[in-house]
Amino acid sequence: MKRAVLVLAATGALSAQNLQGVLKRGEEVFSQTCATGYCHTAKGGAGGGAPRLAARGFTQAFIGNTVFRGVPGTAMPAFGMSLPQADLVAVVAYVATLNGIPNPNLPPSGAASAPAAAPLSPEAARGRQLFSDATKGFARCSTCHEVQGIGMPVATGIAKVPADSAALKALATPNVSTAASEGETMPALMVARRAQSVTFYDLSEVPPVLRTVLPAGIQTREGSNWKHSSVIASYSDAELSAILAFLRGAI
Amino acid sequence: MVVHASYHRQMRTTLLLVVLAMACRGQDAAATRADWPHYGGTQFSWRYSALDQINTANVKNLVPAWIFQTGDYAENLQATPIVSGGVMYLITARAQVFALDAASGKVIWQYRSQEARRGRPGTIADNNASRGVAVSGGMVLFGTADNFLVALDQKTGREVWKVSVDDTKQCGCGITAAPLVVKDKVVVGGNGGDSAHRGYLTAFSIKSGRLAWRWYVTPGPGEKGNETWKGDSWKFGGGAPWLTGSYDSDLNLIYWGTGNAASDFFDADRVPGPNHSRDVNLYTASVVALDADTGKLRWYYQEVPDDLWDYDSAYEVLLMDREVRGRMRKILAHMNKSGLTFVLDRQTGEYLGSFNVPEVFNWIAGVTENGTLVGRNEPQVGKQAMFCPSAAGAKSWNSMAYSPRTGFLYVPVNEICENLTANDEKPQEGRGYMNGAFPMALPPNRATYSHIDAWDPVIGKRAWSDPYKYLLLASMLSTAGDLVFTGDPEGNFFALHARTGAKLWNFQTGAGHRGASVSYSVNGRQYIATTTGWQQSVVGGAALGLFPQENWRQGSTLVVFALPGAGK
Repeated sequence: MKRAVLVLAATGALSAQNLQGVLKRGEEVFSQTCATGYCHTAKGGAGGGAPRLAARGFTQAFIGNTVFRGVPGTAMPAFGMSLPQADLVAVVAYVATLNGIPNPNLPPSGAASAPAAAPLSPEAARGRQLFSDATKGFARCSTCHEVQGIGMPVATGIAKVPADSAALKALATPNVSTAASEGETMPALMVARRAQSVTFYDLSEVPPVLRTVLPAGIQTREGSNWKHSSVIASYSDAELSAILAFLRGAI
Repeated sequence: MVVHASYHRQMRTTLLLVVLAMACRGQDAAATRADWPHYGGTQFSWRYSALDQINTANVKNLVPAWIFQTGDYAENLQATPIVSGGVMYLITARAQVFALDAASGKVIWQYRSQEARRGRPGTIADNNASRGVAVSGGMVLFGTADNFLVALDQKTGREVWKVSVDDTKQCGCGITAAPLVVKDKVVVGGNGGDSAHRGYLTAFSIKSGRLAWRWYVTPGPGEKGNETWKGDSWKFGGGAPWLTGSYDSDLNLIYWGTGNAASDFFDADRVPGPNHSRDVNLYTASVVALDADTGKLRWYYQEVPDDLWDYDSAYEVLLMDREVRGRMRKILAHMNKSGLTFVLDRQTGEYLGSFNVPEVFNWIAGVTENGTLVGRNEPQVGKQAMFCPSAAGAKSWNSMAYSPRTGFLYVPVNEICENLTANDEKPQEGRGYMNGAFPMALPPNRATYSHIDAWDPVIGKRAWSDPYKYLLLASMLSTAGDLVFTGDPEGNFFALHARTGAKLWNFQTGAGHRGASVSYSVNGRQYIATTTGWQQSVVGGAALGLFPQENWRQGSTLVVFALPGAGK
């Protein structure tokens, strides 16, 4: 909600130069995020998959609210948590200008710009790309790990980054057990045991399958013959080193 | 001699009977009866019911039998209901699934999906819509906006397995299509072909949820077809097969339409040479035939080489056996967004003919005898021009239907254009990658902007056409009672005479139609069920923008009709 207050607060005028910069950024954000064909059209005109936004008599507060919270029951998403703060401010100001508000209010300078993230080393940047490399299909780290909002949180968060690719391949996975269900034995990552059901990931193949069975329908024992090396075979040692460089900075 | 001749005659008779039996079996297997087992009716995707209790003589007596409000008012209800053994399986826009008594509407079980993970803002992945479940092997199977494929126990609604097909936050993609069940596997396509994304079909075991195969629409390095892409452009080349395919069990082939090449309106970064007219950016904007067991490509036919208009070919594929130029053939009929409709031999992919459905078009001058597009009118970067039909399509995703009694396809056709300005922006993974602004516009000098047509696909002739003032965005249903059903944005659900197009019955359902209708029977009583609830975003939103004085209503209600006193 703190971010909402920042977006919605009308905290005074800024220099004309700063306003021009914010509005230019707002138009860029609008073009990339809002005028995408499925939704609004360029400059908020009519004829897109979402309503016209120009010359509707919207107040800046209404625009801010709508952008931040979305419109429930429609395709208008809540952007409050998905766009950077500076972009939220900029796009709200831009849409305000489309509604006859030539000098929209902006928060004090500084509040509108999020702190810049430290740039990644070339190796770490390559590692970040490899971590979720779509060309590897399911044989990528992000099939089971979520880091910085990318990937599926099948495994619990990565707490400790292995020293090198050999250590990554040899990683011990004591939390993977062996389950027997419906006449089959499989490596399993337990998620929940409840009175009514047992939920676990079947790790026989990638992607892992989240399965739910009745408590009577499963037997488990500790340990398994599952190996972390079996699911990272699509990466070379150099690629694994780059991924580790990324993870060291990210975790 | 006599014995010999008789033997030959007997053989001929036997052969003839076998041929007839095969033809009839093909026809029989393509119609639904008491059940409505698949998204397209059967895996032949005709949306045709052999039931004829409701027919041209008595349809005027049709009345509501029951109504079901899902309570999930996320704009719209688009799903094709599945009916099996007197139970209806229905999914809402936010993937709430219901099993209903198909005779009374009573809830047997319901399943509530978790709130979807948000996708990339401004991509299709943030669109709440679901076009249906599949039912097979004791499971109810469906995809979600955030790319999970889920299997529920058909009897209890309990979740059995769930698998992540892709990361919606990365890919700018999601699943709105109903899956296709084929033997022991479930095959599902995703959307996202207008994002910087590489489309694919994925098959999983119905029983265990384990991966069976994946087929990428754009071939990678070393694979045949990769040479039709410039540099690394195949990585974000789109082609997402975002609807539901068909299956021919005799040939063991799955048929699917693939989406447009990405970026949509700008090709300089993806086309490797001067050739724009044959096999460009494979296998986008194509019909493909895949081996049902392995997912290996058997043949393809590219309908829109170097698609520069977002005319993706992702739509339904209708499989039928028809006599073509004096010879009985296994054919398929397939329309893409441009409205150009292709008839292909479904064993080989051979081009047999095509016909153009919209009345207003300017993207090509025509098609040669061998199916090559000629007189291409391509968008230019930075220059606005009007193109017809628009990227919303001469038909949207809603399906056409086919009747073996008339031999006609029943097609809801829209006449809309767009003012397109292309740009040359570079891709960012998972972000929108259409490269153009394209506000919709009505073509000049018309009073009506859509029509329901009956087309004979073999001779490529329109038999009749019913004009309508606004747009038509709901699927068609045809029945052996010689009736064609669909709905309009104003809330009317109506029946037309399949042979003449005459309107025989109309019912105001209270909300716009953006989904599908089906027919089934329970205890000898035939029912017609339709979803209602207009979608006010994407193409539904564009339609509203064209007619700003209208207020077509959202909703999420199923309305089911029957004849008074029919059945037991």
